[in-house]
Amino acid sequence: MRRAAPPPPGPGARLLALVVDAALLATFLLMGELLVRALVFPMQEGTLRTAQEILEKLHYAVLGGAGLLLALAWNGAAGLVGGTPGQAFAGALPQEPAERPWDRTLRGWFTLLFVELTFFTGWLVTEVDLGTFFTNFEKASGVLRGLLHPSGAVLFEGLILLAQTLFLAFMATAFSIPIAFVLSFAAARNLTRESTAAKVVYTALRTLMNLTRAVEPLVWALVFISWVGIGPFAGVLALWVHSVASLVKLYSESIESIDRGPMDAIKATGAGTLQVLRYGVVPQVIPPFLSFTIYRWDINVRMSTIIGFVGGGGIGYILKPRVDLGEWGEVGTLVLLIAVAVWVMDLVSARIRERIV
Amino acid sequence: MTPPVAVAVERLSKVWPDGIKALDDVSLEVREGEFLAVLGLSGSGKSTLLRCINRLVDPTEGKISIFGRDVTGAEGADLRALRREVGMIFQQFNLVKRHTVRDNVLSGALGRTGTLRSLLLLFPEADRAEAQACLERVGMGDRGDSRADALSGGQQQRVAIARALMQRPKLILADEPVASLDPALRNSVMRHVEALNREEGITVICSLHDLDLMKRYATRAVALREGKLVAEGKPEEFDLPTLRSIYGEEAEFGFEAAS
Repeated sequence: MRRAAPPPPGPGARLLALVVDAALLATFLLMGELLVRALVFPMQEGTLRTAQEILEKLHYAVLGGAGLLLALAWNGAAGLVGGTPGQAFAGALPQEPAERPWDRTLRGWFTLLFVELTFFTGWLVTEVDLGTFFTNFEKASGVLRGLLHPSGAVLFEGLILLAQTLFLAFMATAFSIPIAFVLSFAAARNLTRESTAAKVVYTALRTLMNLTRAVEPLVWALVFISWVGIGPFAGVLALWVHSVASLVKLYSESIESIDRGPMDAIKATGAGTLQVLRYGVVPQVIPPFLSFTIYRWDINVRMSTIIGFVGGGGIGYILKPRVDLGEWGEVGTLVLLIAVAVWVMDLVSARIRERIV
Repeated sequence: MTPPVAVAVERLSKVWPDGIKALDDVSLEVREGEFLAVLGLSGSGKSTLLRCINRLVDPTEGKISIFGRDVTGAEGADLRALRREVGMIFQQFNLVKRHTVRDNVLSGALGRTGTLRSLLLLFPEADRAEAQACLERVGMGDRGDSRADALSGGQQQRVAIARALMQRPKLILADEPVASLDPALRNSVMRHVEALNREEGITVICSLHDLDLMKRYATRAVALREGKLVAEGKPEEFDLPTLRSIYGEEAEFGFEAAS
């Protein structure tokens, strides 16, 4: 069986390459302007600006347009000076006689400069200040002393709320399993190839799950607090939503990596769709499903300890006010409890997953 | 008197989405009770031909019927009813590895078992007895409780034969059934396929690349090359020039010196 040479990049890939290049070049120019402004002007005016002030002053429209023009030029001249980073990203590189090492290509040098520029820009934008870091230790020593001398006053309350935290994580995981299980079959590409309707469901579900997962559990907690009120149930719901979205992704990816053979064999017996899933798919995915579920429970334990910061119940709920009041001894006790719980959970989960896979 | 037609393939073609033509205008007829070997190099379309017959692959053009019923147009329940009569044996055995041998054999009865029952693996007692009989037939009667992946390759393939037998098929499609097995074990598996053909009258279509096995077991053979049917005849009619036309001029055959 001979395969034809890869087809030339379509208009979609070429457009993607141009968009990526325009974004990269515009960002490159803007980072350059930011560096120049931050390094040159403060000295003239004698005032140190905040990063936000400098960011507000940049010439976005001008340099954005310049980036687009440069991108157009580079994409047009790619045959002369070598392919662009955007073309590499979009898989639309022009045919070159021989693969050259990266430091012999314009694209390689641009990427190197871009990364270096990003580092220096990042230093300014995040207001890195090593001087303060090394000289201001005194202020923090009180906090550290408190953390190292935990107070027994909140030990009992902390333990009780820690128990609530663990249950919170467990319930969120438990509620998410059946829903993620059912949805994952519709979100697996290899099971949804046969009809257009199935492909539509696949795409819609994947998109919805990606959006859901993109929203942090702390934000979901705020949503559910306004729905069911402050307390652990809001935390359960917040972690539940996030867990469903992430388990659907993990489950469906393990469905996508199954051996198709048993599925074909079951189909060949005259079995119906549900029977094919039950016999040809489910037995193969049970170990990875268990493993991912325990992994998710582990993550939920971590998240449940801070979900209380915004009112989602659990140990975080009593931790937040003590941080605000500077009760460092009590904070130390609670942080220690959380650390032990997360550490134990981590060990247990790793051990169980080792045994399954 | 010639027996009735079991499988009729008319002008069958299959073109994959990437443009590769796996089958090119193939026509053939298989009579009930035949043991038809399908020869050809890897990639010649043997597997695709077999998979078109039970519609694990949808043909691009052409028509297939089995026992007088149209396969190519069948959908849903009709297609499942047709598949129930066609057992299939695969090169990689394709057992459900984490299920017991018995449950694997019972899965051959899925086509006639209610959905709810089968989802819970609750097969009727009569089916369990039948599964045990099928296992005994292939010499695996004492391994019903083993997990499928605890068996050797030859044993797994015998379980797969029992699963096909559990379907009470009228036709068995065997796709390179012994290609993954140790040469010493090949006959032990092929003999079971032969027994189903001889004793139960089940029609067999079996792709093979071992010419000795073809001569020993098949009642007739066809050969594919690049998706086209290039030879057809009794096993003994496949002489050196014919084989060269199937496998190419560079091919070497073990019996060359003798012929």
